[in-house]
Parts: sequence; C-alpha cells; structure tokens
Amino acid sequence: MTKFLAVCSTGLGSSFMVHMNIEKVLKELGISGIEVDHADLGSVSPSSADAVFVGSDLAEAAAGLGDVVVLTNIIDINELRAKVSDAAARHGHTA
Amino acid sequence: MLTEHLNEATLLFETNIAGWRDAIEDVAAPLLASGAISRRYVEAMLESIAAGGTYIDLGFGIALAHARPENGVNRTGLSALWVQPEVLLNDEPAHPISLFFCLAAADSSSHLAALAALGKLLSDDATRESLLAARTPAEALAVLKTGDEE
Repeated sequence: MTKFLAVCSTGLGSSFMVHMNIEKVLKELGISGIEVDHADLGSVSPSSADAVFVGSDLAEAAAGLGDVVVLTNIIDINELRAKVSDAAARHGHTA
Repeated sequence: MLTEHLNEATLLFETNIAGWRDAIEDVAAPLLASGAISRRYVEAMLESIAAGGTYIDLGFGIALAHARPENGVNRTGLSALWVQPEVLLNDEPAHPISLFFCLAAADSSSHLAALAALGKLLSDDATRESLLAARTPAEALAVLKTGDEE
C-alpha cells in the first residue's frame, strides 16, 4: 500500500495535524489505498514512506527522504489538497 | 474535548508584549501553575525555538509551541495566548505570530483527541478567522465550543 507520512521535529504536534488533514482531503478527493501516518524527523528513513510531508522549515532537513512534499502553510487545507492530489497521482492514485 | 483544556484559566490575551520569549513564558504560565508542566518544559520550548525551531509556526499567524514529553510534562494540557500586535517567532520576519498555543503532551497519544479537534478547527477558514479575531476568553470559548460539537 502507498504510504504518506507527515513529519515534524517532535512527531507530536504539527505532524499529527497534517496527518489528520491528509486523511481528510484524501476522503474529500475520493482517493483510497493510501495509508497515512505521522512521525518525528529523526525516526524517518527514505524507505519509511512513499511521500513525506513537511513544513517549509524542515524542507532542508528532510531532503534525501525521497518524495518530499513541502507545505508553506501547515494548516492551509487548500494548499494541502492540491499537494496531496499531486502526490497521489505521482504514486498512481487518482480519484 | 477542546474546552476540557482551553477555558477561562488557560485562554490569555495580552497587548504590547516584548517579544516571542515573553509569549512562550506567558502562554506556558497556566500549565506551569497547574503543575501540568515543570519549568524544564518552558526552557525546552525556548531552546528549541531559539535553535531554529520555527516549524511550530502553523501558518496564518498561529504557532503551536511544544517540546518532547520527557522534557518536563506531568499531565497533558493546552493553553492559548493572543498577542496584539503580533510578535516575530525567533525574531524572524517570516514568522509573525498573533496566537500562540502551548501543547503539553504527557505521552505520544493522550493529547491526540484535543489536537485533532484543534487541527480541524484551525483548518477551517471561517472558524480560524473567528478564533484569531477573538479578544476575550468568552469570544474564544464560543468558537472553541463549535469544535467540541463535532
């Protein structure tokens, strides 16, 4: 199964919000077959997920984790919807 | 769910504060007073931000200050501070903040229900704007209660 991972420094706060919002937009978009989780940056390796979602401050630190999706605004659901849709398409999932 | 943590005792409003360090100290004060966190947790948040941890900026002028549970969390808690005018997180112009939340997570799961409710509320454009516009605990509570109902 395709896996999207929301990542922040602690794995407790913003990554969980992004995790919830990714699930929300996948549902809205009618895309299934993607597992979503959240984690802290230190525990993530390139094999952890198919796409990794991070806030812009962690973009540099997350480089090298494969398909890294950088969010300018962590709670902007419109930005997330567009980026989740694109990432899903890259990994073979369309609505 | 949200108002279990966010209530008259933990919703704060201040004007003309000196900067982001004061904001972190002040937003954490109710959790420190109730014993949910120890002084060490406040220091951990300050150090994390000073070290470049501006990732707590959620966007739209809202920041979710937090550190790891092992850095002095006794009980899960949440507090909020509105500041007018906004202050710059870590003095960085890219991160103006007018609403600080302080999250204390006792472990990696106990805070998730409150955080899920908060995330849902902040991701809704209209609700977020109402919350940012609140100037009294009563106004903020009225918005937060809509998050409880869902």
